[in-house]
Amino acid sequence: MMNRFLTLLAALLCALSVQSAQAQDGPLRIEITEGVIEPLPFAVPDFVPGSAAAAQAASDISGLIAADLTGTGLFREIPKDAHISGITSFESPVQFADWKAVNAQALVTGAVDVDASGRLTVRFRIWDVFAGQELGNGLQFVGTTEGWRRMAHKVADQVYSRITGEGGYFDSRVVFVAESGPKDARQKRLAIMDYDGANVTYLTDSSSIVLAPRFSPTGQRILYTSYESGAPRIYVLDVETVSRRVLENQDGTMSFAPRFGPDGRTIVYSVSRGGNTDLYRMDINSGQSTRLTNAPSIETAPSFSPDGNRIVFESDRTGSNHLYIMPASGGEAQRISTGSGNYGTPVWSPRGDLIAFTKQSKGRFHIGVMRTDGSEERLLTASFLDEGPTWSPNGRVIMFTRETQGAQGAASLYSVDITGRNLRRVPTSTGASDPSWSPLQ
Amino acid sequence: MLRSMDTGQIVSGVGHAVLILWALFGNVLNSDPIPFEVTQVSAVSEEQFEAAMAGQSAPQAEAEVISPPAPEAPTDTPDLSSAVDAAPEQPAPDTAETPVPDAAPEEVQTAPPADAEVSTDAPVLAPPEEQDMAALVPEESPRPQERPAERVAPEPVAPPEPDTAIDEVEREEVTPDETAETQAPEEEATAPEEAATEIVTEAEETAPSRSVRPKARPNRPAPPEETPVEETQTAEPETPAPAPTDESDIAAALAAAGAGETEEPQETAQETAAPLGNAGRLTAGQEDALRIAVSNCWNVGSLSSDALNTTVVVAMQMTEDAKPVNGSIRLVSSTGGSEGAARQAFEAARRAIIRCGARGFDLPADKFATWQSIEMTFNPEKMRIK
Repeated sequence: MMNRFLTLLAALLCALSVQSAQAQDGPLRIEITEGVIEPLPFAVPDFVPGSAAAAQAASDISGLIAADLTGTGLFREIPKDAHISGITSFESPVQFADWKAVNAQALVTGAVDVDASGRLTVRFRIWDVFAGQELGNGLQFVGTTEGWRRMAHKVADQVYSRITGEGGYFDSRVVFVAESGPKDARQKRLAIMDYDGANVTYLTDSSSIVLAPRFSPTGQRILYTSYESGAPRIYVLDVETVSRRVLENQDGTMSFAPRFGPDGRTIVYSVSRGGNTDLYRMDINSGQSTRLTNAPSIETAPSFSPDGNRIVFESDRTGSNHLYIMPASGGEAQRISTGSGNYGTPVWSPRGDLIAFTKQSKGRFHIGVMRTDGSEERLLTASFLDEGPTWSPNGRVIMFTRETQGAQGAASLYSVDITGRNLRRVPTSTGASDPSWSPLQ
Repeated sequence: MLRSMDTGQIVSGVGHAVLILWALFGNVLNSDPIPFEVTQVSAVSEEQFEAAMAGQSAPQAEAEVISPPAPEAPTDTPDLSSAVDAAPEQPAPDTAETPVPDAAPEEVQTAPPADAEVSTDAPVLAPPEEQDMAALVPEESPRPQERPAERVAPEPVAPPEPDTAIDEVEREEVTPDETAETQAPEEEATAPEEAATEIVTEAEETAPSRSVRPKARPNRPAPPEETPVEETQTAEPETPAPAPTDESDIAAALAAAGAGETEEPQETAQETAAPLGNAGRLTAGQEDALRIAVSNCWNVGSLSSDALNTTVVVAMQMTEDAKPVNGSIRLVSSTGGSEGAARQAFEAARRAIIRCGARGFDLPADKFATWQSIEMTFNPEKMRIK
């Protein structure tokens, strides 16, 4: 019996050994779990102008594409003076060896034409240099010479999307409150600009205080709060015609903090009546409003989820300000913020996975993000006063207001990646606060 | 009938009589007395009772309260009047001797320039006023006495010869014995340094453009096919095989199973060709080197969060000089993300392989058969944006 057992055991071991040896017959298998996180080197040689009239536009467009990509913090431009070979013809083959030599991992080539009528045509291709392949197919945009910036932003969006796999945000705009004058007599008016601070246009004058502008899902309308009538009222403004109308005008009440729902027809906002503030929703076409909360505490700063089914808002019902989520039709609210300090101004990410917020803790203000269930809270910034986050259209970047300390303190706009990296100041000619990022145009 | 009744009555009467008698004289109805306490009470007369009650009547309140006499003031009360202590006499500080004022500098009679309209009287510097200043004159501290130094050597020694080396131990000079046999150390053959009559620079030399890598080992020759053996019937009866012993049975099984590995120790030692098996495997260090080389080029900084949730398996073929064949890099499978995310993740992996493989990975040429085909799994779990 013992002999048989030993024999079987030996045979089993041998069979396993043979099987192990046979397992080596396949390819060598390696698992890579560690990588590097650094900007991707890319090159954008000047686009090839189709004529002398297109030379300036070709240079400007390629330069703006490079600036857009570099500004994300995800890409690093190979300077033009390091290029070994330029692109002299859009159709000629790319000398990949020259671009490999300067470690350009992505290459954007293009051509610009301007016809007699002033129509601008931009063609471009994106190359994976080390693979020696084109990423996707070449594209062409047609516009006016005045709109060269938008065309450059569109090209940059395509490059960003092809390489990262997520949508871009360069061809977008930001509405904000432009501030001027001393801190105790500050003048505020609505302004709109490109995401990078260019093409500023003022939408209102500074005769009355305006607050908290919010884009509609299509970017064609803006909700904002104005003290034009003495008390805060909600207005809706058409961006194209700059015409506006008041939405909520009940005597003895104050209405503020409006925000569009994803359908562009429903808005949610706060109404303060007799010292109590609650949330309401309204169909802006019919003007029909519905009360969503009825509590003695202050409920404000509502924001819809991307699917429109839920609303996140802030409330002081527990004594300190925290974030709550409730159904879009009202009902029981569930608290999601659990940390110490005061939470406010929550904004749901366009991706739906995160909620950005303002947090005040230990005398400092932070911009942070958390999961929709309140988990994985991360603070991205810290300063004397950071507040009012707004999401980029792709949900990758957050823009917010940062105000400096002291009587001479001024508000300005900053952006930060959701990883907490790449904190940048958005250039504006005046003080700026309360940004709201539009969707892609 | 009546007779029987009489008998019953008689029996009943006798029985009852016996029972009554037993109860009376049998001590059946007796019971133990209940214990009780006995209190002695004495009867008193009315006079005695009133006399006793008169002694317990309430006392009459005293109309005057006799206050206790005030205590006499002690005669030995300490005198609280305090006299101001006289300030302790402090020795007046020694006033430093007032310095003798410097003698007023002699006025230099300089002849003023004639055309200068300035006063010719030189300003007189007032001597500094004397001030009463107390100065603490430090006492002169006693200088430390020198310690007696130990003697370095008990006896003075004459200085050595100038060329003699200093040592702890005195040694006598030893001179080699010329008559003794000496054994010359082994020395390698040497030759004068290579020289040429003309200067030839490296640029003029025809250097090989690339280093020749060792060729791969030849594949193991296929084992000869076994020729089928025809079974022949013999007239002789089959002799039964001997019953296997323990050792022979186990050894045979091990030998059969380890047939493919029996050559390993020899091959490892002799470094002869063996495409597969342990000798053909990469060592853990060699695999780590390849893993690290690719990791250094795997840049996930520009990937979307969706792509960072995607694990891709990438296959490739390698050239003998350890470079990936770019055209052979393909996506085998992906998990965790969308198709678009898998494409982004694959492109990032492909860039890593091509970039870091452009100069060839550090792989042992003698194990080419092992790494000729590689599958790399790129798992970005640790690099994920949370």
